[in-house]
Amino acid sequence: MIATETFKPLVLAQAKARKVEPKLIVVKHPIGGLNADELRERIEAATKGLSEATTR
Amino acid sequence: MKDIADQEVIDIGDMDVEAFNELAVEQGWSDGMPLYLPTEEKVARFVETVRGDNRPYAPVPPRQIVPTVQSVAANAVMAGCKPEYFPVVTAALRGVLDPEYNLHGSLATTHSCAPMVMVSGPIRHKLGINCGSNCFGQGWRANATIGRALGLMLLNIAGAKPGEMDRSTQGNPAKFTFCFGENEEENPWAPYHVQRGFAPTDSVVTVMSGEGPHNLNDHGSTTGDGLLTTFAGSMSTPGANTVYGKGPMFVIIGPEHAATLRRDGFTIETIREELFRRSRIHASRISAENQDTYISTGHKPDGDWFTIGRSAQDIHIAVAGGPGKHSAFIPSFGGTTVACVRINP
Amino acid sequence: MRIVNPTFGLAAAGGPKVDLKPVNWATDAIALVSNSKPNARELLAGIREKLGAFRPIDNIEFLAKNSASQPAPKDVIEKVAANFRGALLAIAD
Repeated sequence: MIATETFKPLVLAQAKARKVEPKLIVVKHPIGGLNADELRERIEAATKGLSEATTR
Repeated sequence: MKDIADQEVIDIGDMDVEAFNELAVEQGWSDGMPLYLPTEEKVARFVETVRGDNRPYAPVPPRQIVPTVQSVAANAVMAGCKPEYFPVVTAALRGVLDPEYNLHGSLATTHSCAPMVMVSGPIRHKLGINCGSNCFGQGWRANATIGRALGLMLLNIAGAKPGEMDRSTQGNPAKFTFCFGENEEENPWAPYHVQRGFAPTDSVVTVMSGEGPHNLNDHGSTTGDGLLTTFAGSMSTPGANTVYGKGPMFVIIGPEHAATLRRDGFTIETIREELFRRSRIHASRISAENQDTYISTGHKPDGDWFTIGRSAQDIHIAVAGGPGKHSAFIPSFGGTTVACVRINP
Repeated sequence: MRIVNPTFGLAAAGGPKVDLKPVNWATDAIALVSNSKPNARELLAGIREKLGAFRPIDNIEFLAKNSASQPAPKDVIEKVAANFRGALLAIAD
């Protein structure tokens, strides 16, 4: 699950309420409102996070 | 004091009200304004008013716990309700628990929505709920505390802590309280609860996850047609969630505007149809990026026009307020419904 | 003095515990699920493109909620469960 750092507490709080442990990839906030150049950094970070999370 | 989060009843010793309020802030129970002490005795008096209503509550999202009638009552006590208000508060809670209300989404969203609570039927007068001048405002204990009780429940039972579960970007003063009564006596059409199939003698709570009221000022128009031009022009707002969320909205018509509309032959249905048609937003007023987003999520324009809801049926009409040439538009969160619950006598 | 805890409630009964099957992220079919907020789809598309350097991507598909403000519909959840071994959700912004 990809979450921005700002919304990580919401994800964790809701996960706790549902008694699940999400595998989180946290990227900088925001996602909405970014132009293509700005979004590229988030894509890099999320792909790196996914790679790390799935090769552990 | 040991961790008290899991205790149904908490012994606070000889704590006075000021110390209790400090405790409440520390525990995250407070909306920021002073609270009454939810003593066992007071809570019991509230619970007595709903004796016989044994329907369990559904799990309350996002926290997903099932409240007890005592914990629900504790919030109503803290809000400053009188015991006789409690059946209205419990009906409002059942309303927001309607799955179509989408309580989880409406609490976790970045949107500013808060539960609008409208009370219809005879109980308005029995409890002294303001339906007239300044009905959205201050000065009436029932209005202030019933709305506040629901807000405290969403904080304490649902777990909508600002900045954590409640992610509203800016919030809205209506999150403190937003409760009013219908002005049925000056409504030239059917009261809202009767429009929804209830008997005129029923008392009903209506809830919608909405923004605060947007004023519709029209002192100049002398015809119903003119009033609808003003209403629709003000409702045609690209910044409303309903443009792409496609949900319900309320137009709360002031009694003087209602009289003019009725005199000129408008009915609830024709008002809804006219407002839906006239409030469409021309594509030139919506950014290209937003148009792409709306279309890609299934909200296609009608030619060059985006509608503010799915159909005229998304526009809900009621009458409230006192003398003056003002009405109000209350757009919703979008992905929600208008839920009505009969208040148990 | 004794007060009633305004946050008190009973935990809702949870659903049955599901044992997750292991996912091979290098080959298995993966769902990329967007919350339908602006840029969620673009973020997932960028990730999919980058994954192409390491793995086949013809079995990586896009799915989306109908609305950013509403829960994922049952049919979307069932589709993910039936057709994919893993899902990457872009949901928290």
